[in-house]
Amino acid sequence: MAKPTTIRIPEDLLKEIDQFVQESKLDRSAYLREVLKKGFSADKQDRLLTKYTRGELSQMEVCRELKWNPWDFLAQLKARNLYLNVALEDWIDAAEL
Amino acid sequence: MARMVADSSALILLAKCSLLEIVCDLFEVIVPKTVTVEVASEDLIRNYPDAALISDLTSRGAIKVKRPGSAGFTTPISLHQGEQDALLLSIKLKRALLATDDGKAIKAARFLKVLFIITPKIVVELFRLQKISFKKARDSLEKLGKIGRYSPEIIADALVSLMEEKDGKADNHKNT
Repeated sequence: MAKPTTIRIPEDLLKEIDQFVQESKLDRSAYLREVLKKGFSADKQDRLLTKYTRGELSQMEVCRELKWNPWDFLAQLKARNLYLNVALEDWIDAAEL
Repeated sequence: MARMVADSSALILLAKCSLLEIVCDLFEVIVPKTVTVEVASEDLIRNYPDAALISDLTSRGAIKVKRPGSAGFTTPISLHQGEQDALLLSIKLKRALLATDDGKAIKAARFLKVLFIITPKIVVELFRLQKISFKKARDSLEKLGKIGRYSPEIIADALVSLMEEKDGKADNHKNT
């Protein structure tokens, strides 16, 4: 069930949204909900992947938080031009077989 | 046969490089139950051929599944269950080598003084031990860069190590 909330947004942005909603014949509330959902999802992914690249989260911790499976994780890194969080010193210090 | 405990990140990259079966032939590869669930659940097996390969290797006993039991201590760095179980299993199996491609899991391994290995190193080592050809090793390292998202610095360093191993072998042949 949707719950009401209040936020303050810049007047210019609100004007632009209202104009776009009117021109596109969209339901204002439904549109704002959709934008918030999309924006939240993208921002959450970015922030968690930043934590991953800093080594603050592991691969599987990110997968759990974002409901990704580990086989998709590498493709997600590629899509953002990111690399694994393994450091050069990890390669240097890795054991031999 | 040397023991190697692998977590999800290492299993995935070894499978993607087509090296998992070779590694299973050469080592006793052990994974915690939680890792098999993470990478080879029924749903994943249907959609990812490499997940099906891991499931097949597990059912054939080429990959052994073990439960780590209780830790008896807390890891200083929080990890996902599979990564933590792999680390714990490595400690319980008399500090078996931990194969992981996750920086945070490596941090925890360093803290607990567990020997670790990453997939590019496994590739170079397999070539050094003459278990794979130079071409196979080079192709695998390139895949680890492109598909595996290893940083260009690590891949470049690994390729240099591979070339040094190759040149070393060539010199040895010349000297004999």
